[in-house]
Amino acid sequence: MLSVLLNSPANTTINYLPIVIQLVVAIGFVAFMMSVTHLLGPKRRTSDKLANFESGIESVGNARQPMAIKYFLVAILFVLFDVEVIFFYPYAVNFKALGKEGFLAVLMFVAFFLVGFIYIRKRGALDWEE
Amino acid sequence: MNPHQLVFWILSVIAIGGALGVILSRNPVASVLFLIVTFFAVSGHYILLNAQFLAIVNIIVYAGAIMVLFLYVIMLMNLNGDVEPQKSKLLQFAGIISGGILFLVLLAAFKTTQLSTTPINASTSIGLISELGQVLFTRFVFPFEISSILFLSAMVGAVVIGKKD
Amino acid sequence: MILIITASIIGVVLLFASFLLKHTSSLLHLVTVLFAALFGVAIWEALQPTAILTQSFYLDAIRVDRFTNQFNVLITGCLFLYILLMKKHIAAVGKYKAEYFALIAFIMVGIFMLSSFNSLLVMFLGIEIVSIPQYILAGSDKENLKSTEASLKYFLMGAFSTGFLLMGITLLYGATGNFMVSEFNFLQATSINPIALGGVLLLIVAFGFKVSAAPMHLWTPDVYDGTPTPFTAFMATIVKVAAFVGFMRLFQTSFTAISSSWSLVLAVVIALTLFVGNITAVFQQSVKRMLAYSSIAQAGFMLFAIISLNAIGRQGMLVYTVAYSVASICFFAILIKMKDYTYDGFNGLAKKQPFIAALATIYMLSLAGIPLTGGFMAKYYMLKAVLFEGSYMWLAIFALLMAAVSVYYYFKVIIAMYFKEGEAAMIDSFTKEEKLYLTIGALALLVVGIFPSLLTGTI
Repeated sequence: MLSVLLNSPANTTINYLPIVIQLVVAIGFVAFMMSVTHLLGPKRRTSDKLANFESGIESVGNARQPMAIKYFLVAILFVLFDVEVIFFYPYAVNFKALGKEGFLAVLMFVAFFLVGFIYIRKRGALDWEE
Repeated sequence: MNPHQLVFWILSVIAIGGALGVILSRNPVASVLFLIVTFFAVSGHYILLNAQFLAIVNIIVYAGAIMVLFLYVIMLMNLNGDVEPQKSKLLQFAGIISGGILFLVLLAAFKTTQLSTTPINASTSIGLISELGQVLFTRFVFPFEISSILFLSAMVGAVVIGKKD
Repeated sequence: MILIITASIIGVVLLFASFLLKHTSSLLHLVTVLFAALFGVAIWEALQPTAILTQSFYLDAIRVDRFTNQFNVLITGCLFLYILLMKKHIAAVGKYKAEYFALIAFIMVGIFMLSSFNSLLVMFLGIEIVSIPQYILAGSDKENLKSTEASLKYFLMGAFSTGFLLMGITLLYGATGNFMVSEFNFLQATSINPIALGGVLLLIVAFGFKVSAAPMHLWTPDVYDGTPTPFTAFMATIVKVAAFVGFMRLFQTSFTAISSSWSLVLAVVIALTLFVGNITAVFQQSVKRMLAYSSIAQAGFMLFAIISLNAIGRQGMLVYTVAYSVASICFFAILIKMKDYTYDGFNGLAKKQPFIAALATIYMLSLAGIPLTGGFMAKYYMLKAVLFEGSYMWLAIFALLMAAVSVYYYFKVIIAMYFKEGEAAMIDSFTKEEKLYLTIGALALLVVGIFPSLLTGTI
């Protein structure tokens, strides 16, 4: 199998075999350990043992409170800029080949995002304290 | 069955099982986790097709960022009581019937098509990041540019809808 | 093309206008100037000597032809009228005044893409750019629970239909290996690929949703009812017509050769749309809700342009653009001033405001399709188109029957205004300019009704 891997051309599916092996090992290790501790460990189910662990302090109130919308606003803006960054990868790989026109295309794309960013800042969407 | 096909079938079972888990599980957080499983399986399919960039983007953007958004939405809701309204059985039945009909129609379409007639004979390296960049910034540069308008309006929307007055 | 760029720049300028201009009145002046400029650019583009030719831009992603230019002029004209009549009310919806106008400008970018796409990618992006700002506009009145509900409903249903659209595009791409709509011509009726046919079917569903054709119309009444009225007037008219133009463009350039495979499905959709829209509209108490159902009913007529696939249908679409948009926008401009949105709210309007009542009568007559108004000509062209095609005689007769039904609910408004006693309480009075714009709208309807060749002559 190793020879197959070493002799295969770059950038094909077979190159991902090590990742698959690592994934299988990682998941297998976790699953194995959890089932082993489950089987071998002693079972003492008292109400104290089953309570949520809060660093030894008794838990107060209910954890299932609705969150503030502020977090969501930041998260959704993060996703938008995340997608912007994704577009840079194919550009960076072809930076030289695309030349001036490619640069201008990316510049315009970024300019629109910059406009959006300035707008967000000016509107105070990222101000945490209000 | 060669290893390629074997991996394909394993991934397909995981993907479909995960998708069923999304709609069948009662707990919304479990649904989101099932969706992440589905995304990973679909990413595996992308890798099988040698579309490596898409596979990674699918994990970074969808399984990473958008699933966080889903979890936020779940956390915005009040999940204390049993608030989920009971859907009527008739509606569920109608949904199953209409979805099943659509599935059958598409399945029939696929079955009667000779796959040899499909004219996609691109090289296997089309999904690589450098090839994709070449196409994206030359042939599809206009859709690429105009998508920034879409992002801009989404940003405005997030502020208009999400910001406290 | 310059129009898309202009609309984008207008949107960006308006985004920042609220930081620079502190007074609402100066913002509204800027808005008027910018949208007038957009109208001007559209006219300028249509007057270019090259405008009668088919030109391709951006590596053939966009193709501008004569129809595109004429439609762009008409739709920006309707938009300008809408802005003039509604700008005060748009600014009164909520806190983010400039953003609402910016979103409208972005929607126009999408509309220009829908009227000129040659690549399925551009079409998809156009539909998304039109849709996403609309979800926001629908929910802009955050204090009002109905507005939030409308926004959420619209978003969920819209996202669902976008799934159909994407799946349709995927299947078409899988069958042809191509995104360019002008190159789908090799899809032949004799050797049709079933996958491509599945794609066409899904595209009918997705576009049917966007233009609210039955049975994909269920979102329409709630969304149009819950959305703040100034934005309903925009969504129900300009955006809807643009979605039709995108629908027509795709099906006429790409799927004409295989029309025998999908036209029966579309015929059933049209019959259902006409039936559901007209019959349900009869039972409405609220005029705003009636207009929502009437927009479904009018969609049934506009779908004739797609099933007939001929030049008369294209001409009819242009006439319909003006006749339907202008009449609805102007009537919404009157409705928005009423205190009570039910029919009873219009009681006795003729005694209190005889001029406004007369104008409202013209709009209603046009929507009902009474001769001498634009609405009549629009319906006439559509019926002519489908009869010219020949195979759907029963559909034309059914449409005539349904048009007769529609007269009932449009005339209910006229009867309430002229023959019933009442207060017809108004929130706000009409300014001189608003009366002028409303009159221009009514005159435009009459001119289109008498000389439709002004719009269609060159197609």
